Amino acid sequence: MQSSYDFSKIPSYIPKVMKAFPVTMEILLVSLFLGLVIGAIVTMGSLSKNKIFQNISKGYIAFMRGIPTLVLIFLLYLGLPQVMQGFGINMQGVSKVAYIIVTLSLSTSANMAEMMRTSYLAVDKGQREAAYSVGMKEITAFRRIILPQAFGIAIPTLGNNIILLFKETSLAFTVGVIDLLGKGRAVSAASYGVNRLEVYVATGLIFWAFCSAMEKVSKLVEASYTKGRKQAAS
Amino acid sequence: MINFKFIIDSIPAMIKAIPVTILMALASAVAGWIIGLFIALIRKAKVPVISQACALFVSFMRGVPMIILLYISYYALPILLYNYAAEKGINMDVTLIPPVFYAIVALTLDQAAYSSEILRSALAAVDEGQLEAAYSVGMTKSQAMLRVVFPQALPIALPNLGGLFSGLIKGTSLAFYVGVYEITATANLLAMPALNFIEAYIMTTVVYEVISVITNHSFGSFETRFKKFRTHEAA
Repeated sequence: MQSSYDFSKIPSYIPKVMKAFPVTMEILLVSLFLGLVIGAIVTMGSLSKNKIFQNISKGYIAFMRGIPTLVLIFLLYLGLPQVMQGFGINMQGVSKVAYIIVTLSLSTSANMAEMMRTSYLAVDKGQREAAYSVGMKEITAFRRIILPQAFGIAIPTLGNNIILLFKETSLAFTVGVIDLLGKGRAVSAASYGVNRLEVYVATGLIFWAFCSAMEKVSKLVEASYTKGRKQAAS
Repeated sequence: MINFKFIIDSIPAMIKAIPVTILMALASAVAGWIIGLFIALIRKAKVPVISQACALFVSFMRGVPMIILLYISYYALPILLYNYAAEKGINMDVTLIPPVFYAIVALTLDQAAYSSEILRSALAAVDEGQLEAAYSVGMTKSQAMLRVVFPQALPIALPNLGGLFSGLIKGTSLAFYVGVYEITATANLLAMPALNFIEAYIMTTVVYEVISVITNHSFGSFETRFKKFRTHEAA
């Protein structure tokens, strides 16, 4: 057991852990993109008039909201290759990062779908009618009238979802990916764990700094994006 | 391909692990939400210094992943407890403390931070005039809070608290990494010897989904109950 701590060492661990930052960013950005795409498809299902599509989307969101991300990682990383082997498919060539990206894309897509649905429904019905009345087609009305307004409504939630996703990337270490936390563990293992508390605190501070920065950016984007629109509405 | 015998043999061990998860979640929710309420009240009253300290705490808790908080709690608390006991002249054997204690501490602090934000916005959503009206009929500040403001803030906060609680249930799965034998860790342990991962994790998924359905349903019925109560009173 570690019996004492030396918090003055923490700053020296930050640059060491930061070396893994590109890996975390890669996981974050790819999962964010895929999560938004899957989320958009699920949203189309939940907004469609077809009852079957509606229920599939609802069920998907409820399922993803009930399963811990860690369990989903294990299910895909440890369970899926076992099932695929039963079909004669070898999944050994699939990289660990790919499993993490797929898992995080799926888990964030449910949040993204809920965000898109509520933002879409929050746009006033009159806006669409007004667009039709000036002769716009459905597609044009969506692209030029509905989407820009729904996006403004979604910004705070989107910022929150990105922060949640960023925090979840820390689970990549569970399958052995050297992301920020994986690097932190490697740094502490290199000295036989005597400094693990300091290293974990250093890693935590990195996450904190980026989350705070993202929160600020999200507020700034929201303010600048909705500024003109509120004037137009009044 | 799927080993059904393994599933049937594992059911008793899995069921035994469920109370550990539930206990962790309930203990952290109760303790965390009480602390969260105090943080919300302190920040609402804008108590100097303490209010800023609370804001910093909330920001830290919201910015750091749960798994790192668990590790920090797991490695820092024994040292703190040992040193504290040594100062008092007690020789405390910190290795006797079960890991679930450290997990509950980390989850409680996390819940305190998130619930304080929910409760703060719920308190802010109650009309200022309600408090003034309570004062005007001669209620003290604590009476006004307890009888007038809280009953109105709670239904506003409930849907978000429900979401927070289902997140907490999912978060308890990370306690696996600090050595707590909750549902996920038990599944992993059962799967290891014969590599029955898919069976173990399908079972785990089913257990979490069932807990999630029950949680959502309970919070949903709390909500309708509170709403009914309120309209009845207003009418």
